[in-house]
Amino acid sequence: MTAALAKKLSFFVGLYLFASLAIFAAIDAVPGDPIASRFGKAIDPARVALERERLGLDESWPIRYLISQQQFLAGDWGRSLTTGRETLEDLQRFMPATVELSLSALALGVAVGLSVALAAALGAHPWLTRLAQGIGSIGLIVPIFWIGILLLVVGAWWLGWFPMGGRSDLAIGERGFVEVLRYLALPTACLSFFPMASVATVTFARLQEPELQAFVAALRSRGYGPWRIVWRHLLRIAAAPTITVVGTSFGALLGGAFMTETVFSWPGIGRYLVSAILGRDLFVAQNVLTFLVLLVIAVAFVADLVVWKLDPKKGGEES
Amino acid sequence: MRSTFALLLVSLLFLVGCSREPAGEVSSSQTFIFARGSDAQKLDPADVDDGESVNTLTQICEGLVRFKSGTLEIEPWLAESYSISDDGLVYSFDIRKGVRFHDGTPLDAKAAAYSFLRQMDEDHPAHLPEAAFAYWSYLYQDIQDVVAVEPMRLEIRLYRPNAAMLRSLAIFPAWLISPKAYETYGTEMQRHPVGTGPYRFVEWRPNEAILLERNPDYWGEAPAFERLVMKVVPDNTTRLLQLKSGAAHGMDGLQPAEVAALRTDPAVTVYEDAGLNVGYLAFNLETPRVAIPEVRKAISLAIDRERFATVALEGAGRPASFPIPQGFLGYPDFEDASIFDLVQARELIAPHLGLFAERPLEIIVMNAPRPYLPDPVTAATFLQGQLEALGIPAKVTVLDFKTQLDRLRNGDFEAGMIGWVGDNGDTDNFLSVFFGSWSAVKGAATNYSFYRNERMDTLLLEARQEIDPERRATLYRDALRLWHRDLPILPLCHGDNIVVLRSEFTGFALQKIGDLRLSEVRRRRDPAPDLKE
Repeated sequence: MTAALAKKLSFFVGLYLFASLAIFAAIDAVPGDPIASRFGKAIDPARVALERERLGLDESWPIRYLISQQQFLAGDWGRSLTTGRETLEDLQRFMPATVELSLSALALGVAVGLSVALAAALGAHPWLTRLAQGIGSIGLIVPIFWIGILLLVVGAWWLGWFPMGGRSDLAIGERGFVEVLRYLALPTACLSFFPMASVATVTFARLQEPELQAFVAALRSRGYGPWRIVWRHLLRIAAAPTITVVGTSFGALLGGAFMTETVFSWPGIGRYLVSAILGRDLFVAQNVLTFLVLLVIAVAFVADLVVWKLDPKKGGEES
Repeated sequence: MRSTFALLLVSLLFLVGCSREPAGEVSSSQTFIFARGSDAQKLDPADVDDGESVNTLTQICEGLVRFKSGTLEIEPWLAESYSISDDGLVYSFDIRKGVRFHDGTPLDAKAAAYSFLRQMDEDHPAHLPEAAFAYWSYLYQDIQDVVAVEPMRLEIRLYRPNAAMLRSLAIFPAWLISPKAYETYGTEMQRHPVGTGPYRFVEWRPNEAILLERNPDYWGEAPAFERLVMKVVPDNTTRLLQLKSGAAHGMDGLQPAEVAALRTDPAVTVYEDAGLNVGYLAFNLETPRVAIPEVRKAISLAIDRERFATVALEGAGRPASFPIPQGFLGYPDFEDASIFDLVQARELIAPHLGLFAERPLEIIVMNAPRPYLPDPVTAATFLQGQLEALGIPAKVTVLDFKTQLDRLRNGDFEAGMIGWVGDNGDTDNFLSVFFGSWSAVKGAATNYSFYRNERMDTLLLEARQEIDPERRATLYRDALRLWHRDLPILPLCHGDNIVVLRSEFTGFALQKIGDLRLSEVRRRRDPAPDLKE
């Protein structure tokens, strides 16, 4: 048990080391001098050289990697070169918006995806099967920004039920709960398509396996109602694939969050990260990217543990 | 169980959404909302260089002088009057009486000097170490001292005459902030501007919006709206939807194709005027092939600039004949500068075509729109076609903007499409940048062709110090003749400055320099056309 856990843990630590090195290499390879671009139209080469030295940009790459890791792990993330704001403060500011959006989209996606897959498994209506498959295809194929614009045109412009992007009323003061939900609704719906599709596809496939279908038929013949079958049996079976999908698609969800944040003017971490890269705010980009990767790895790790817990046999086979 | 709860929550969420009033978003008629593509970087006039920061500060801060609406002429502003000594070395300003900064600090000569001294004096407490003060070393280097000679009289003394200085004093790095800003906010003063302008700063929600409110003690004409919101809407389509639905009242950052569609839309008013910029093709004279004058001359003759403007700018700009915009001091009258003559071009290039047989001419271009080139890649592709008609095979390399700038500055290119957005409306601000040998330093260059010519340097330096406009204009015409002989850069177009407001608003005027003066906007009182407009 402990040995298996240690093995899993070391795998994820190795994954982190690999990812952080890859991020460092990628950021290092970005062309365009981050210091020169800070001086805008009037670059003073002497000041640029001084600033490079101060930031340790002239060291060899292994040293710079180690320094950057040390600073990252110590929580010393520095300031943005363009806005002058503390990177950690910015993370605290923008991360909640992205978490709020991602979690609500995940909740909505899993709820709808799972419900449709379960209903299809019960064989309530033949079109439910088609719906489960349809959601799978549409959610994975249709580009997220297109869905976003569609939702804006219908939900905000034609119907006028929801605000046209943004995270809050631009009035001065605190946000009310109702306001939070109104602003959250459309971007959540938009981003939920991806987890909805993944969950629907995977769970549907699992529940359509012949022995499960036979099991459902057997339960039905004993006179069990559909709700009881779902509660007592199917949910438990569907849980493992669902959690695995949730765990592994979290990274993709963050990627999708960037598109959603752009279309809906949502002030999240995705937009922050992309503008940091385009603006050559490279220390910000590296630290935030490393943090996000760490988060994705951690979520995958936790999901893996939960699945392992739910089904010791399966976990045992894997490790 | 969990799934029921989630379902319940979700349906609740939708019900709540449905039951609310239509999404008016700050429905009050007392608020004006302006939408733009990105957020400001900092709100410290001495340490910004991006348009969004400057556009925000325009509502909050003011300078001693400013540009008369719609012109490149200077009028006194926070100074009631000004005078320049005969030798051009001392600028005296009589500070306007009764003006207060937003924090209540009265404006006097000493308070006005503060905003200059903190930039020039490295030991000044508000000379923040994290600030680059890039503009100070670029436009204000000739300032020797700024002195409050009397309580309400400020003198700016120069090392040497600089004919562009008065205009430089009208733009954002010279706008005044409260001398108490640093005491109150410390380094946070860069995110908490305290000016004298029509609106005052309230709150900054990064990547979301900057909230401003009417300055109740404003010395000039009070703005019509109680609140002004500068909202960030990164997606172009969403921004347009917001304008059309009324969630935003005005916007900028439009693509030419969108502008074309909006011109006929009665719900909005499109404001467009020639911008203070030039898009051009730079030749790196340190590479052998384009260092040959005939090659450059032939390429210039082979470009149909009228068609270039139609294709590259889709009507949102105009062809350029000279490296300076029309109306600038010294704008010349010789007509053959941008002539299109493919026959002559082919004659000129014929002996040199062999040079391009093995390796095509590489043109580097940025992937993102700029004020002088709304669609750079299309423009470069068009140019590629024109070069191929001339017989020169060409290759377009698309780079992101920062990479492009880096390669240009370091001379790591053969030909590159780029442009310049003027700062102070002065000819020196274009020609010195393009042709001065002091601007051709590797790594920091703005003279991307690395053009070095002693006569040009002499003309530019003389013109900078010449106070008499007539003589100055003559010097610039001579400099442009030299440019025309050598053609280190080929001017292609001037992009338009475009802002769109919903038609229920009026009073707005585009500024030559690009200032976004939103405090002049007001709601149209009745549907009849406003006669004052």
